[in-house]
Amino acid sequence: MEDEKIRNEGTQPGIEKNAEGAQPANNESVLRQETTHEEVSKNRKPVLRLFHGVLIFICLILVLFSLILFLLYGVPVLKELTPQQNKEIADNKELKKDPDFKKKIGLLTKDVQRLSLKFNTYASGQSYIVVNTTENRFYLYKNKQLIREGSCSTGSYKKLLTAGGKNWTFKTPRGKFTIQNKRTHPAWHRPDWSFIEEGSPIPPKDSPLRWETGVLGDYAMDLGDSYMIHGTIYKRFLGMPVTHGCVRLNDEDLEVVFNTLNIGSKVYIF
Amino acid sequence: METEVTNRKSRRKITFITLISVISAFIIYYSLMSMKSPAQKLEEIKNEFETKTTDKSNINQRILKDSAYLKLLKEKAFLQSRIVLAETDSIYLSINLADSTANIGIYGVVVHRAKISKMQISNILMRRNESAILSMLATPLTISQAFATIKKEPVMIQMAPKDTSEYKPDIMPDTTITEPVNYILETDKGVRIYIYQEENTKIDDKISQFKFDLNYRIKDTWSALKRVATFKIPEYHPFIKIRLPRTEAKIIYRAVPKNGQIAVFR
Repeated sequence: MEDEKIRNEGTQPGIEKNAEGAQPANNESVLRQETTHEEVSKNRKPVLRLFHGVLIFICLILVLFSLILFLLYGVPVLKELTPQQNKEIADNKELKKDPDFKKKIGLLTKDVQRLSLKFNTYASGQSYIVVNTTENRFYLYKNKQLIREGSCSTGSYKKLLTAGGKNWTFKTPRGKFTIQNKRTHPAWHRPDWSFIEEGSPIPPKDSPLRWETGVLGDYAMDLGDSYMIHGTIYKRFLGMPVTHGCVRLNDEDLEVVFNTLNIGSKVYIF
Repeated sequence: METEVTNRKSRRKITFITLISVISAFIIYYSLMSMKSPAQKLEEIKNEFETKTTDKSNINQRILKDSAYLKLLKEKAFLQSRIVLAETDSIYLSINLADSTANIGIYGVVVHRAKISKMQISNILMRRNESAILSMLATPLTISQAFATIKKEPVMIQMAPKDTSEYKPDIMPDTTITEPVNYILETDKGVRIYIYQEENTKIDDKISQFKFDLNYRIKDTWSALKRVATFKIPEYHPFIKIRLPRTEAKIIYRAVPKNGQIAVFR
């Protein structure tokens, strides 16, 4: 009831009161306005505070981010901006006439020539083959000229593990090798891993079951440690890393390589 | 009540300002220390590699300004370095910055040549008249550590079948996979070789390269910050950043041994 009274006082009767006396009514409206302002500002404060907080947080994140950016990218650039004492390089005519200079440059030229000659002796004048195991390609050279290139297959990088703890990694060794032996119509003496890989029992070392013909193509060139350059029956795999470490070539390439390289020829594998 | 709030506010302000000042001071200090590091590195190189000469007024000082003499000196340094490699290391990398090539050599024979498409070299290494740098490069750089996005040896594990029934013939390897190739080779003399793939059009490649580069930068900055925090000048590593086609970058990374050697001609 009292509430209703107050509400009524604030509306219709208020007009009557206004007519009767303006002063008290004005005071009341100011009071009411103030209270509503306070209420609004009270309602707004948390929103503003939140907005303010978010703004500060964003600013801090931005500052932190630019700081990290400066440390990671700015400082390395600054390091490279440090003043250099790069003296001008010039061709001083006076210097060139100096007998000491002539002597020094003569000695240096001789040194360079001597070293250059020495370095050139490493490059083989004989025929050699280069095998790129990453790309599975070969390059055959004769008299330092590339005479043939093509696809080959090299080690698969497969690691075969047995339950007993034995393991083999099928990779083509890298470095410099020499052709140790050349064979036509080679037969393959199967090592233990080739049986283990298939899950078949391992025959004794001298068992005829170990010998397999026709799988190495028409020719084979031994590189040592049972690694060879030979042919293949899996021609669709050429250009891919699928072998157990040997280098496989197709029939035509194999014939050219076999006829070009001699025993002692270099094989560079990388 | 009001004074308490004001006090709290001013205390907060003071803390904030102090924090900002401390951080700013540290950043300035860190930047200055970092800027000092190249000079310190150059000094170290000079002490270690420069040949000491007693008469400073004679021709030795002037001769190092002569382009013909310097050209010969550089050539000599590169030849010396490659001869050492040819006689001691099986597979090595030689970077010729003058003709923009990266070559793989085996006992003195260049077996692979790759064209560098872009390169960036630190100022220290580009000091053309610095005999100490030439002396340093006259012997090969040895790789001490490598960080890469690809494996050195892509080994796949296969368990041996128990019997023939379990045996599965090899399936054809997927050669269409093109993983991003980026790597950093840290060397014993502090020089770092950054090799990044040239192809950078795909978003995956860009992201991978950015992540790789960022990780390395974080690692590097962290160690520098630790040094600066102990009032030491951070280590400076002269660098050679090169971009190669993806396949070439991969060939080089796989070919060069873990602790392989590098000859640089600039």
